[in-house]
Amino acid sequence: MKGTWVAMLRGYVGVKLIGGEAEAFLNAATSERIGLWNIAFTPRGELTFGIMVSDFFRLRPVLRRNGSRTRIISRHGLPFRMARLSRRKTFAGGMLAFVAALFILSTMVWEVKIEGNSAIPEEKIRQMARAEGIYAYQWSFRLQNAASLSQRLALRLPEAAWVGVDKTGTSIKITVIDSTKPENKAPASPRHLVAKTDAVITRVIAENGRPKVERNDRVRKGDILISGLLGDEKHSKAVVSKGKVMGLVWHEFRIESPLSTKTRNLTGASQDRGYLIIGNRALQISGYGGHDFADSQTRTTVNRAQLWNRWLPFGTMKEHELEVVEIEKKLTPAEAKEAGLKQARAELLAKGGQDAIIKAEKILHEQTENGKVLLTVLFEMEQSIEVERPILEASIE
Amino acid sequence: MMRVSRKLRKWTATILDLPQDVVLDLPRITMIGGLQVTVENHRGILHFSPELLRLAMDNGELEVTGQDLIIRNIGAEEVFVEGKIMGVRLQPRGKKPQ
Repeated sequence: MKGTWVAMLRGYVGVKLIGGEAEAFLNAATSERIGLWNIAFTPRGELTFGIMVSDFFRLRPVLRRNGSRTRIISRHGLPFRMARLSRRKTFAGGMLAFVAALFILSTMVWEVKIEGNSAIPEEKIRQMARAEGIYAYQWSFRLQNAASLSQRLALRLPEAAWVGVDKTGTSIKITVIDSTKPENKAPASPRHLVAKTDAVITRVIAENGRPKVERNDRVRKGDILISGLLGDEKHSKAVVSKGKVMGLVWHEFRIESPLSTKTRNLTGASQDRGYLIIGNRALQISGYGGHDFADSQTRTTVNRAQLWNRWLPFGTMKEHELEVVEIEKKLTPAEAKEAGLKQARAELLAKGGQDAIIKAEKILHEQTENGKVLLTVLFEMEQSIEVERPILEASIE
Repeated sequence: MMRVSRKLRKWTATILDLPQDVVLDLPRITMIGGLQVTVENHRGILHFSPELLRLAMDNGELEVTGQDLIIRNIGAEEVFVEGKIMGVRLQPRGKKPQ
C-alpha cells in the first residue's frame, strides 16, 4: 500500500481468491508487477489480499491462466464512496446545497455599522448609504469598491469632513468624522447694560459701549450702566454693549431656625429577603423570621430574566431592609442662629451668581419663641448687577 | 563464462571492500524481533501457508516458519512478512538437487 491517502483516493478492494494455487498466483502477480498487500489465509484456508482498483482489472489474465476466480469482500476509498453517494441523490444534493448556500450567504452584506461620534443623525447616514446601495442584505458584488463608495458618500454628506467605508467579510463599517464648525453665536442686537437692582458700584469693566457710571456711584434699578449709544446727538450709532459691572447689593433676610432637629440615622442592623417574581406577583423564598423594625428603610432590586432582548415575566427580587432610628437633637439658641445664618448664606450665594461675595452681614432683629429662633439679617453682597436691555429703533432717532 | 564473471565480481568485491549483497545479488534478510521479516532479492514464492513461507532464491530456498503469517507487501524483489516468526532457515541448493 503506497501512501495510505493515495490508496484512499484511488480506491482499493479486499479480495478473496477462490480455486487455483495460491503460490502460483502470487508469483504470477508479482512478475506482472501487480502490487498486493496483507496477503493472509483465512481460518478456512482461503487466500485474501488487498489490491488497488486499477490493478484489480489487470489481474484478470493472471487469474485465467491460474484457473481461479476472485470475490471482492470489501471496498475502500473515494471512488466507492462517490458511487455510494451518487445513489443517495438527496444527500449529495443537500451537501451541494449547503455549500452553495454558504457561499451565497457569505456574499451578502449582513450588517452596516456606523461609527464616529458625529452630529449627523445616524438615520440620515443610513439613508444616504442606502442611496449608494449600502444596506443590510445587499449583495456585496453589487457594491463598488470601498474607496469610491466613501468618496460618493462624502459628496452626499457635505457636513462630514471625512467618510470612510470599510468592508470586512459580511459587515460594512461607515466612519463619519464631522468637520468642526465655529460655535454658533446668536447675533445680538444693539443694547444697553442696565442695573438689575439698587446698588453701589464697586467695579466697571466695559468691553464695548460707553460706561455711564463710576466706582462708588449709587444706581437705582433700571439705570443705564454701559450705554450702547455712541456719538453725539447728530451722529450716533447703536452698538452691542458688553462688559461687567460689580456692585454692592443689600439683601434683607428673615430666618426661622428651629431649636430642635430630627435626623433619621441607620443603626446598621439590616435584613435581606428574597422573592421570586412571576407575572406581577412575588413569592418570598428567603429571609423569613427576621426582626420587625420599628422604623426602616427598604431598598429593592429587581432582576428580571431576559431572553436575548426580551424581558420574561419572571425573575427575582431582593429586599434589603435597614433599620432606622430617629434622633432628635436639641440646639441652644446660639447654635440654631448659626445654623440659620449658614443656610441663608448658602442660599444667597446660589442666588447671586458665580462671582458673588458676601462682604458683610448685620443682624437687625433676634427673637426666640415657640421653639424657634427668628432672625432678620441684612447682608451686603458684591455681585454682578448688569442686565441687558435692547435699544429700540425709535430711541436711536 | 558466467563463472568467470561471477568470480571476477567476487574478487572485485573483496578488493574494493564492498558489501557482498550489492555486488552479488544475494538475498538480504532483515528481521525485526520475531515480528517482521523483510527479504530482498527473492525469486518467487514456492509455498505459502499461515505456518510456513518458502521463498525461492538464486541458489537455494529460504524458509520462514511461524504462526499467522501475513505477507504485508510483495513486490518483484521484496517480500515483507509479518506474524509470529519462529524460524528462518536457509537451504542452499548448490550443484546437488534436493
